[in-house]
Amino acid sequence: MTAIPLWVRRPAGERVGWLRTVDHKEIGVLYIGMGVAFFAIGGLEALLLRAQLATPEATLVDPETFNQAFTVHGVTMILLAVVPLLVGFANYMVPLMIGARDVAFPRLNALSFWLSLVGGIVLYFSFLAGGAPDTGWFSYAPLSERAFAPGTGVDYYILGLAVNGAGTIIGAINLTVTILLMRCPGMAISRVPLFVWMTLVTSVLILGAYPALTAALVMLFVDRQLGGHFFDPAGGGQAVLWQHLFWFFGHPEVYIMVLPAMGMISEVIPVFSRKPIFGYGFVAGSSVAIAFLSFGVWAHHMFAVGLGDTENAIFSATSMLIAIPTGVKIFNWIATMIGGRLRMTTAMLFAVGFIAMFVIGGLSGVALAVVPIDLAVTDSYFVVAHLHYVLFGGTMLGIFAGAYYWFPKMTGRLLSEGLGRWHFWLTFAGFNLTFLPQHWLGAVGMPRRVFTYAASTGWGPLNLISTIGATILAVAMVVFFVNLARSLRSGEIAGDDPWDAFTLEWSTTSPPPPENFTRIPAVTGRRPLWDRKHPESRDKK
Amino acid sequence: MRPPADAIGTLSLIVGVIAFLIFVGVEAALVYAIWRYRASRLAGEPARFESNRRLEIAWTAAPALILAVIFVLTLGAMAEINGAGVAPAMRIAATGHQWWWEFSYGGTKTANELHIPVATPIDLDLTSVDVIHSFWVPELGPKMDMLPGTTNHLRLLARRAGSYDGQCAEFCGVEHAWMRIRVIVQSQAEFDTWLGAQRLPAAVKGVDGERVFLTNICVNCHTIAGTAASGTAGPDLTHVASRGTIGAGVLPNDVARMRAWLADPQRYKPGSLMPRVPLSDADLDALAAYLGALK
Repeated sequence: MTAIPLWVRRPAGERVGWLRTVDHKEIGVLYIGMGVAFFAIGGLEALLLRAQLATPEATLVDPETFNQAFTVHGVTMILLAVVPLLVGFANYMVPLMIGARDVAFPRLNALSFWLSLVGGIVLYFSFLAGGAPDTGWFSYAPLSERAFAPGTGVDYYILGLAVNGAGTIIGAINLTVTILLMRCPGMAISRVPLFVWMTLVTSVLILGAYPALTAALVMLFVDRQLGGHFFDPAGGGQAVLWQHLFWFFGHPEVYIMVLPAMGMISEVIPVFSRKPIFGYGFVAGSSVAIAFLSFGVWAHHMFAVGLGDTENAIFSATSMLIAIPTGVKIFNWIATMIGGRLRMTTAMLFAVGFIAMFVIGGLSGVALAVVPIDLAVTDSYFVVAHLHYVLFGGTMLGIFAGAYYWFPKMTGRLLSEGLGRWHFWLTFAGFNLTFLPQHWLGAVGMPRRVFTYAASTGWGPLNLISTIGATILAVAMVVFFVNLARSLRSGEIAGDDPWDAFTLEWSTTSPPPPENFTRIPAVTGRRPLWDRKHPESRDKK
Repeated sequence: MRPPADAIGTLSLIVGVIAFLIFVGVEAALVYAIWRYRASRLAGEPARFESNRRLEIAWTAAPALILAVIFVLTLGAMAEINGAGVAPAMRIAATGHQWWWEFSYGGTKTANELHIPVATPIDLDLTSVDVIHSFWVPELGPKMDMLPGTTNHLRLLARRAGSYDGQCAEFCGVEHAWMRIRVIVQSQAEFDTWLGAQRLPAAVKGVDGERVFLTNICVNCHTIAGTAASGTAGPDLTHVASRGTIGAGVLPNDVARMRAWLADPQRYKPGSLMPRVPLSDADLDALAAYLGALK
């Protein structure tokens, strides 16, 4: 198709401001700002949880406060921190990486951001309106029905998530259309950078998964406010129905949060290995496999529900299958590094950290797909450890890799490598100290979501270690915020292409002009910038 | 049949060893790549190899084979933990309540402490009267959810006599943390003696504490067999003094703690559905003494 200029040049220096902007880069920054703010809030909630659990039978917070804190921590981190951070980077980078001037629907893009943010604000308004939701992030019925949760917390959960989800769905439509229709000349779908590939797959996943959540939320709202009985066994409903609907959303949601981070390290690792990605087709194709499979594994969250051996066996098999394309990715990243010329920048450290930690989360995930092992450790701290190895050890380390990699493009200044190293190693130590012991705690019987535990259980020492780890992790995040603040003001000037990188975003200025490129580029391979810099040894194809 | 915990233990060991080997392999490859291919050690441009179909097929097929083995083992263990076709010697109905457990031996009810005979396959019939709970005693193996409106089954088989602690594993509201279970595994003779005693009506009659109990709102929720009290919302108290804890694990059970609990349950288990009943000091003494005598 021919490129239609959607962007209109304004007089130099004229900006419409953050509230009215429809520029994909500014909206990307808004998303990232939202993600960072909620990440800090969710982190403080986590510290409160860890402080209460540091010693047995502690009374730092009352049970009600604790239950609100872990509920809001989960919702915040997943829907208000990680997803906006990933969508923010996609918003900023995808048009630049495919050589477009903006996303397909810039105004819709603004709408999706503001809906996402308003959803978060609605959720947090519950604190002022009489109490936050206290039924866990997956808010199982009938505990979330009015008979057992009479306050307004769950209603704010329903409204907040529905509005936030609408924003996410609209954003996914926008990114899908952008990637399918707005690639620059020569950029076949087999040539788009892997971060763009992962964003496309993620967007399709969002379109399949989020509507199930929206439907479930509406049904719960009908139950709570209009006297319905969808999830109320006493009225002929089914408690398990909520779980099916929720996890039909919830498990693809895991890949919605992991795939874009995998995309980020699939950009970082080749650049800092000075080699093209190994097995581009397999890395991209395995994402499609993961996406398909992810809609067929939801009941592995429900092995202990009593669905029966046949159902459990089927979902066990599909859940194990999904480990295969995931493993393929890990092998390809390592093969990319083999034979390369590795520059261990902070971005690369975090990318390697992603692989090292995600392996642990992936292997404990396989253990959880084994039904009898799952029946032993599900709903325990083993699961808490597993999900944090995937979402912090995986996704968050990937996001940090992306942040160190793209910060210079977005701001024109480099983040400090010195502080970056401190940030990485403190994160690495604090993260493992926090979550590694939780595998053992779960295996010996500590359920998740308990506000305290009896001294006689003997779980005190490992919990104390976990809390100390969380404190170190908090210090690491302070280092990161200091790095951000200092570099924004006085960081080293980056130039257009500080990493000697391969993809189109590095061919324009840092930060890019409002129209991204003075001329829409044309590409002939997967590494257009490499081809331009090394005309004598262009990539084949 | 083997105890379910043993089947899970064996499988966990196998999966654990496989996972550990893969973990070591991947991390070693990663460390090797970082050490061997540092730009500071090597000059010049790297060779540009971008794919290798055989390698890709190999590292797709190898995990698939390993997973196939694990899956077969999984199916075997699943059958085993469900009893492998062995009929249970006894069924016990277990019902989850916010935040305590009810166990019924053919109508003889007790709470929070489950007694079972050693080396005997038992099936628990699990359900809930309110929200979803999950029965979990780690040393006895798998957990199983208790859902309102549905009955699930869980095979128990304990190899050794003793006492095993567990607690509710599915978040069930404000006092989820204090919904603890104790499973007391006894010889068949001890178990029969215990069950025989539980089937008897209340051990003491006509004391002052009984009057306090029967003339207050206690009777709305609690049963004491042999009296007019037949409430079912709270634990059956016919033999409450035979149990080790108060409030599903929140306090050890003795007369002094029972008195403190009766004076203000919300102090020890905030959110508990047992209200504070205003009683005089004398009535509290009498009631605690009465309940303490219900062996």
